[in-house]
Amino acid sequence: MESRVITITSGKGGVGKTTTTANIGTALALQGKRVAVVDSDIGLRNLDAILGLENRIVYDLVDVVEGQCRLRQALIKDKRLPDLYLLPAAQTRDKNAVNSVQMEQLCQQLRAEFDFVLIDSPAGIEQGFRNAIVGADEIIIVANPEMASVRDADRIIGLVEAAGKPEPRLIVNRLRSDMARRGDMMDVADVLEVLGVDLLGIVPEDEMIIVATNKGEPIVFEKRSRAGRAFLHAAQRIMGEEVPLDEVTEVPSLLERLRRLVGFGPALAEKRVRS
Amino acid sequence: MGIFDFITGRKKPTPGELAKERLKVALVQDRMKVNPELLELIKSDLLTAISRRLDVDEQHVEIRLAREDHWDKLKAEVPIKRQKISFEWDPPAHTTAVTGLRGKVTVEVEKDDESEL
Repeated sequence: MESRVITITSGKGGVGKTTTTANIGTALALQGKRVAVVDSDIGLRNLDAILGLENRIVYDLVDVVEGQCRLRQALIKDKRLPDLYLLPAAQTRDKNAVNSVQMEQLCQQLRAEFDFVLIDSPAGIEQGFRNAIVGADEIIIVANPEMASVRDADRIIGLVEAAGKPEPRLIVNRLRSDMARRGDMMDVADVLEVLGVDLLGIVPEDEMIIVATNKGEPIVFEKRSRAGRAFLHAAQRIMGEEVPLDEVTEVPSLLERLRRLVGFGPALAEKRVRS
Repeated sequence: MGIFDFITGRKKPTPGELAKERLKVALVQDRMKVNPELLELIKSDLLTAISRRLDVDEQHVEIRLAREDHWDKLKAEVPIKRQKISFEWDPPAHTTAVTGLRGKVTVEVEKDDESEL
């Protein structure tokens, strides 16, 4: 299989790029793909923490680029999944420590080893962002259904097009469908209408994400989490599977809510992964 | 949203709709690099052109950017001052209370926003 380099970006900070990268990477690895997740947010690394790998870092991306170590030495193997690796960002350097040519070469090196290379982009539109997209075949944009995030996403879409990349796909993250239904927030349809790109997934706001982050465990492992299932679905769509976009319409029935209360969550996510 | 909104057929936009509309205008401005100063210039250009042919109410001209049906639009609302109208008044015979007033009548209507409504 030809390997794919996918960059996850957003323009605005704090919309869930890193969480999305960690979870889609994990979900792809759960489905038997060889996956590298790359933290390109040099100086502000966080992907390691979301994956619970923060205390295993010896070498980082800048070390690889500068030839201080080999790529294999810097790649950290995930604790849970044998096919998932992390290339952490340097914490003591800044975005200008790496240039676009070096980044492109790094992507080529990673292609040889993995089916999927997911690059977590820094916020902003400066050098760090340009480095993150330079070697990418595909771009995923993460946006929250609020004005600042969608506005920045629109700017990013323009820059991605200007860089000659194919049209990015969108993940609407942190949707509060109750508020959207009441008209207190923009809906997914509104966001799509404004941005005019294809939808890859809808991730509902979910308190369990915070718990998962605190534990250093991606939410896709949590079978009862709607956000976890949404990330799984997004990963399946990346792999070309037809998964209906039911993340929003999916309202838990009374029976299901009762079941969750008693602790028998739907094993949906698990089934999908194992099959 | 009260009962009066229902009667008048006017509905207050929800916060979600408001965000979407504000966002659309902001995006048009961002994409086209149009700022309020440029809009003012366009407005005065428009006024010079139109008022050469029509009597325009310059106080109430409104020009803004919008995004509708996938098009970025420049929308202008240019109210035209009402003209002085004069016409022949010849009431038909069956009109009651004909008091003998016949002939040419001149009605002058000058656009006057508040008092009109």
